[in-house]
Amino acid sequence: MRHTGILFFPAFDWSLGESHPEREERLLYTQEQLFEEGILDLPRIKQFSPRIASIHEGLRAQALFPTPQFHLEALDAHLIAAGSAILLGEARVRGDIANGFVLARPPGHHSGATVWGNRGFCTLNNEAILVNHLRAHFGIKKIAIVDTDVHHGDGTQDIFYHDPNVLFISLHQDGRTLYPGSGFVNEKGGPNAWGQTLNIPLPPGTGDEGYHYVLENWVLPRLQVFAPDLIINSAGQDNHFTDPLASMNLTAGGYGRITELLQPDLAVLEGGYSIEGALPYVNLAILLALAGEDYYHVREPQKLDRSVLTLSSIKPYIEGLKNQHQTINPHWTIQNKYFFPKGDWIYIPHSVYYDTEGFQEIRHDYIRQCSYCGGTVYIESSRSSFPGKSILVRIPFMACSECEQAGYELWDHLQHQREDADYGLLQNQLHDKQDLWQRKEGLR
Amino acid sequence: MPNQVGIDVGGTYTDAVFIQNGKIQNTAKVPTRAENLVETLLDAFDALKITNVPSINNVTVSTTLVTNAILQDRISPVSLLLFSGNGMSIDALPWPLSYLELSGEIDFRGREIEPPDLREWEKLQTSDFSENLVHVAIVGKFSHRNCLHEEQLAAYLRNLYPSIHVALGHEWGQANFFRRSMTTYLNLGVSDMYTNFSEQLQTALSARKIHAPVSILKADGGTLPLAKIRPIDSIYSGPAASVLAGLAQSDPKDSSIIIDIGGTTTDLGLVLSGNPLLSTKGAQIGPFSTLVRSLSVRSIPVGGDSVIRATDQGFFLESYRLGPAYCLGGNVPTPTDAMRYLGLIDYGNERLAEEGLASILPTERRTPKYLRELATAIIDRVVDRIADAVDSLKHEWEEEPAYKVWEVLHPHETKAFYTVVSGGGARGLITALGKRLNNPVQLGLFSEVSNALGAAMARPTFDCTLHLDTYMKYYRVAETGEQGKWTGSLRPHREVENFINTLAQKQAKQYEVAIYDLEKEPFDFFPIVQDYRTVGQIVRGAVHLRPGVIGRVHV
Ligand SMILES: [Zn+2]
Ligand SMILES: [Zn+2]
Repeated sequence: MRHTGILFFPAFDWSLGESHPEREERLLYTQEQLFEEGILDLPRIKQFSPRIASIHEGLRAQALFPTPQFHLEALDAHLIAAGSAILLGEARVRGDIANGFVLARPPGHHSGATVWGNRGFCTLNNEAILVNHLRAHFGIKKIAIVDTDVHHGDGTQDIFYHDPNVLFISLHQDGRTLYPGSGFVNEKGGPNAWGQTLNIPLPPGTGDEGYHYVLENWVLPRLQVFAPDLIINSAGQDNHFTDPLASMNLTAGGYGRITELLQPDLAVLEGGYSIEGALPYVNLAILLALAGEDYYHVREPQKLDRSVLTLSSIKPYIEGLKNQHQTINPHWTIQNKYFFPKGDWIYIPHSVYYDTEGFQEIRHDYIRQCSYCGGTVYIESSRSSFPGKSILVRIPFMACSECEQAGYELWDHLQHQREDADYGLLQNQLHDKQDLWQRKEGLR
Repeated sequence: MPNQVGIDVGGTYTDAVFIQNGKIQNTAKVPTRAENLVETLLDAFDALKITNVPSINNVTVSTTLVTNAILQDRISPVSLLLFSGNGMSIDALPWPLSYLELSGEIDFRGREIEPPDLREWEKLQTSDFSENLVHVAIVGKFSHRNCLHEEQLAAYLRNLYPSIHVALGHEWGQANFFRRSMTTYLNLGVSDMYTNFSEQLQTALSARKIHAPVSILKADGGTLPLAKIRPIDSIYSGPAASVLAGLAQSDPKDSSIIIDIGGTTTDLGLVLSGNPLLSTKGAQIGPFSTLVRSLSVRSIPVGGDSVIRATDQGFFLESYRLGPAYCLGGNVPTPTDAMRYLGLIDYGNERLAEEGLASILPTERRTPKYLRELATAIIDRVVDRIADAVDSLKHEWEEEPAYKVWEVLHPHETKAFYTVVSGGGARGLITALGKRLNNPVQLGLFSEVSNALGAAMARPTFDCTLHLDTYMKYYRVAETGEQGKWTGSLRPHREVENFINTLAQKQAKQYEVAIYDLEKEPFDFFPIVQDYRTVGQIVRGAVHLRPGVIGRVHV
């Protein structure tokens, strides 16, 4: 039997605060709904229990600045959500399940390559940690992540922006009208992964029909061309018409259809803050669609009373976006610093606002242009009103020998020559190794 | 410790034991007369030859009455009416029975989303279905949050047919519409038979001048008075009894694996630091999934009388029995013959055991060397099967879902397990089992009547799980389905503790259970926020009297 795995980890004893939208009650009604329906008695459904991810597994995808220890106490729930994604991902790759749904809190898709704290309710990126785990341990090469949360999956985009083997597609409410204010069509990927990021910002009020149209006419064809080994759906529930933070007007049935169209190997819960009106129904519909059961009877009690854009008004908008996407050309700035190993280094400045705690991260990203691999990444990062500078050096999966060499030269330079850097992480994805460095104590 | 009588009605034999101050005074074994359980119970009781009957403080019975009735499809016809609402289409689930869906919907907070359609109810009276309307089970989705529709329909039907027996789903107060429906259905289906049994038994006991209270053992290893138990709760009390017997012989803090090796089946259970492991899902009986709380037990079709069949590669251990072992006059070789041949047991004819085993071997190999090898291999095979089941039970326990950070950070530590083995096949297997399981194995006391011993030593179990929604201003009790108004504060703290204590006292009184050592589960508080303002809380908490024994037994 083709089982659908479910890993339900509501973290009932963890929240960011009593009136915070990401609070412990978030999956309470989903649990009531799923248990009452007898979902776990469906012969198709197989339940899994959570496990905690190790810091090592987290660092494979993300640099925790200034040090992992700095975050450790606040990370328990996040590590369990990430570990849960890994556990179900492994079950999928081993063939124990045909597909699965990681229904875990807290979410993760706003958490990027460097982490100074919680952003958009996220500290660790569950999908990214999962993807890098599967690539490190199971030799999977090509993975597509389709982010259907109403918010732009900026953290996931950041982590895989230079990775030619990860296709990242995000459908979201236009960044000009919603947090985090990014995710425009011109964000198409770094110099070695141009076109492997696809952003589809949608106008408020898009609704079921519009969403399905975009999926069928843009997302699915793009997926087909990429032909990934695995499709992961960052399944945020905040497109629902009852969501208090957004206005996309999707229904639970609409979500079921999205799942049916995408056929993800794994769906991973992201946002969704209409705790009563949407989550129990949307989660049920997604799970049923994954299990190949009817989701047509899943009907939220509230009626859709917001206005939904007609398909005829969305079509020209999408055509416009597609055109924009096709015609846009990269314009890179080459900036080779005196200590950079040979090659051309593309400079991309990047700053990130941490809304939960209210501070700014300033980043200088450099990518070694390479026609053989994803290219070594060098990131200098500092946090407003926080002393010191932290550095990430990333040698990519399937790195060519020159890029690997470049990575080690940078790492060596950091430790012996740099006076202004205090902390560093070397992510050697090629050999699944990470080194942490701290000026005071040296290499640990 | 008082004077206890325990009786276990098994499929073939009924065992009984009389315990005085923790000492086993007398044991008995009589054949089970399936057609007359009351007589069987009295036979077993009489066989104990108790001289001072009035001194008996308690009689506990574990009975297969309900289990067998369900498995043999001998339950009264019940019409199942469902308020199935929206959500998953319910025919996605493997229903082993027919039902009728009615409109009307309640949501997860207990709010009425759609009222029932009275025209559908009117059709009920005119259809054929109503002609023989005697037993009707009515179950609504989310009725454990609000029983309104169930009660409305019950009142409507009772008004039309005053003699009708109605059972309502919310009385099984836990989430899971599918299992709640089946539990309600089965409990109603066996209730007449159980009432009949209970009445006959009362009469018969009075005739024997037994005035001690009579309790029935439940699937969760607890007891309840004969008249208070919900019949379906009495299923699987046999395996529960063997776990309790093991518990009564081990250190109160030990973790143990309890193995009861019978002729055809072997039952297994786990005790974790003195607490028998409960199954998270309800019991499964035949094709029915229920909400009946039960111990996490396994039954595997392996025992001393399992048939050994010769194959090209050697032999195969079958999962059925064809009469007694060869050495005891049977027609086929069995593990018992292997045990007899190796001298691990002293009953049965040694020469016959050899003859039985030899029949597995090719003529040229019927020498002591090969016979020994074969007998050892058979025992290893039996032990492997049992050990695999032990591993899978342990695995299931380790894989319990966790819903809180705390639970994941404090996983089930690997415990040191002792093994207590009982049953007819036990003696000859302990050495091999100890080796295979790699931990100490102990042969249970009076292992031939261990289920009766477990029944005698069982104590009541008790659970009171509160679900309180202060915004909706109602509370529900999962075990009894009690639903009521909440008049306390929106954000209660201390007052919920008193509240649950009061509920528990009331419930205990109703079930005639003396509660002590109540274990408190910490309360969960979920804020209900509207427009960034906390408008109430959902509070969950529980108190338990876990399954256990009244003391320890010694010889
Ligand atoms: Zn979101
Ligand atoms: Zn390279």
